[in-house]
Amino acid sequence: MRTRYFDNAATSWPKPPGVPRAVRRCLERGGGNAGRSGHAKALEASRTVLRARELLAELFRIADPSRILFTKNATEALNLALYGLLRPGDRVVTSSMEHNSVMRPLRHLARKGVALEVVPASAGGVIEAASFCAAVTAGTRLAVVTHASNVTGAVTDVAAIGAHCRRLGVPLLVDAAQTAGSLPIDVEALGVDYLAFSGHKGLLGPQGTGGLYVRAEDALEPLQRGGTGSRSDREEQPEFLPDRYESGTLNTPGIAGLGAGVQYLLHRGVTDVQAHEQGLLAMFLEGMAGTPGVSTYGPAGATGRTGVLSLNLSGLSCSEAGTQLEDRFGLLTRVGLHCAPLAHRSLGTFPEGTVRFSWGAFTRPGDVRAAARAVRLLAAAGGRRR
Amino acid sequence: MRLGRPARQGLLRELEGVVTFFGSHHAMRAERVLDGSGSRALLVPGPREISPNCGVALRFDYSRLEEVRELLDRSFVQYEAFHHYPHG
Repeated sequence: MRTRYFDNAATSWPKPPGVPRAVRRCLERGGGNAGRSGHAKALEASRTVLRARELLAELFRIADPSRILFTKNATEALNLALYGLLRPGDRVVTSSMEHNSVMRPLRHLARKGVALEVVPASAGGVIEAASFCAAVTAGTRLAVVTHASNVTGAVTDVAAIGAHCRRLGVPLLVDAAQTAGSLPIDVEALGVDYLAFSGHKGLLGPQGTGGLYVRAEDALEPLQRGGTGSRSDREEQPEFLPDRYESGTLNTPGIAGLGAGVQYLLHRGVTDVQAHEQGLLAMFLEGMAGTPGVSTYGPAGATGRTGVLSLNLSGLSCSEAGTQLEDRFGLLTRVGLHCAPLAHRSLGTFPEGTVRFSWGAFTRPGDVRAAARAVRLLAAAGGRRR
Repeated sequence: MRLGRPARQGLLRELEGVVTFFGSHHAMRAERVLDGSGSRALLVPGPREISPNCGVALRFDYSRLEEVRELLDRSFVQYEAFHHYPHG
């Protein structure tokens, strides 16, 4: 039986051929440590890292590539921003659709005296810009919002929130883990001050890569300090970007692969990926339309969403459904709460969770037709059992 | 600019300007920006007496100092200092 991968929201697969090639080239021909010396191999490593930074800057329309800081994933980028900015007494606003990579640091910070306000999403799991903006008042230290839910794929109107935050002078941190590489992102047009992204999802790079874009660094404390290869005469952390936030040896092979992933996206065009993923969603919804016993979550229709569909089948627990989808149909999905318990409360699917299908740049229409067919067959079987 | 050894030696004699940086990102970016603009530039291990903070410095055509400075500023490259370093 052929296996079909539907877990791209967790990590994308397959990768463009240039990605493994770049990682391999870096490991076979590299050997240098970026920024640590002036010999040929160190310079080559530094050039690899610079190239990836420049490609990411082009993708997100960032004028100064040094404002992109490499981290090991979006979680580390979000932690850097949250712990780097928030102090006891500060007020932070976020939404009920956030992933635990935002919610857990914020709950921890709240115990330390940060005032946390969580704006509830609508019943469909959509973060309404108007209600979010109403909670962001002058004097709010930070607004944090996901660009798209990892559970429903619902896209947040970040531009409206960004415009409101800019008017009030409130910095905006956007979690782009689900959208970088899948939706066009222009940080200035969206009013983003901090953009956290993962490298191994829509950007098509290897795991262990991610980053944070920082519009202004003055207030942001580093998460860790250490060797940078620069200002080695000093025992204090350097103040300039990117070194202030990048202590220790970077994941140069991973970053080489990430650069190749971004290069692929720039060549193909993110709008093409977006149209592809949206077309597959329309096909998926159409393929299941009218099937009794299937509940889907998120906004109605195929627009304003990423390549994610969460659903439940009546008469089957989601873990049972996930097992059958794999065993009988070769479909690899993710079941449960997707690290976002509050989002599932907003949707009314807590604590059982949902079955999540997520596709990507290389998913084929035949894969989605097979998925829709499997859901129809399982729903019919579940119906017989009821 | 990546060159063979003889060409590199020849170019080094001609490029009398040295710009130093605090960090390697800025050195590498300066190299790319100058390469892209058609200015001759070469990354070198920084001469010790002028404080190479990140291990590398960039040799450039000193007669184009102002142009180079403006280009680096426009490209958000942070440098430490410019030096005139003839016959090095």
